Amino acid sequence: MQASRPPSPWRLFLFFARISAVTLGGGYVLVPVIARGLERKGWMDEKEFFSLFGAAQSLPGPIGLNAALFAGRALSGLPGLLASALGVLVPPFAAILLVSGVIGVVAAQKQARAFLDGAFAVVPGLVAALLWRMTRTRAWNPGRVALALAAAAAMILAPAWAPAIFFAAAAVGWFVESPGTKA
Amino acid sequence: MIELILSFLKLGAVSYGGGWTIVGLIRTEVLGKGWLDESRFRDLVAIAQVTPGPVALNAATLVGREVGGYLGAVLATLSVVTVPILASLALGALISRLGPRGNRFREALRSGTFGLLAMTVWAFAPEAARDPFTAGLALGAFGLAAFTKVNPVLLILGAGALKLLASFFLA
Repeated sequence: MQASRPPSPWRLFLFFARISAVTLGGGYVLVPVIARGLERKGWMDEKEFFSLFGAAQSLPGPIGLNAALFAGRALSGLPGLLASALGVLVPPFAAILLVSGVIGVVAAQKQARAFLDGAFAVVPGLVAALLWRMTRTRAWNPGRVALALAAAAAMILAPAWAPAIFFAAAAVGWFVESPGTKA
Repeated sequence: MIELILSFLKLGAVSYGGGWTIVGLIRTEVLGKGWLDESRFRDLVAIAQVTPGPVALNAATLVGREVGGYLGAVLATLSVVTVPILASLALGALISRLGPRGNRFREALRSGTFGLLAMTVWAFAPEAARDPFTAGLALGAFGLAAFTKVNPVLLILGAGALKLLASFFLA
């Protein structure tokens, strides 16, 4: 918005498509790449991007996608939002459809199997690291501790109910938090 | 096919805490419905990791493709992003202007997000760390990701490469 000439939806599409096409590792890798890219283009400085990103995290959705949606809208309104969404979605979708035909063949190879097993082994480690970082940076109080542990226990015991438990925890949290809460 | 759409719409609506929690939720849904077995799902997640783009979207596309062919891939991908896109259309501007009430809102979501992350670790740990070697990879990834700023891509590719090397020496 503060940019004198907002980028066209087409340029936003290309910008996000290029990032999405070459970035492995998902949202936590995409987000810093997007932040640097927007700044380099002179469309948005990092500080503004990360304040949008904070808001983007309070809506559901893959983090990389949400970051693109919010940045696209801030720069070029509704067409910008839709162009950014398509930019994030199209390249990986196309890549996956290309490889999906050969997954069975590849997974049956012993070496490919070993590589995929190794790549998969880090998943719980990476998620645990996210959990750790969130645990360390949150301002805890007894109510938050109790609610977070209760939500975790309930979801582990009844994973099929996780969506309902998530919204229940958010509703309880809203009433437990005082109106002047600092994040 | 309707079931596939509804499942992924629902998963999109609760996808807080980033891609991995969505993958955890997809796992519960897909195994619960009997669409795929554990080992097939494990392959898909590993492939979703090493293809570009958000992992959660890749996983949705792959699962849709397995369950319902090309149409399934399109429907699962569109379904999982429908709620996030509508939500940011409808609420995005509002949320950016919430101010202090926005803090209360974000804080209220955090306990649930904590739960989702914990559930995801719990769900994946036994499958991913099936032997001492893969358990070591998982622990190493945790340590490096939690205490250093190393790029997660290096951890993913590095762990794959180590396991590949190990398969030559140990097998």
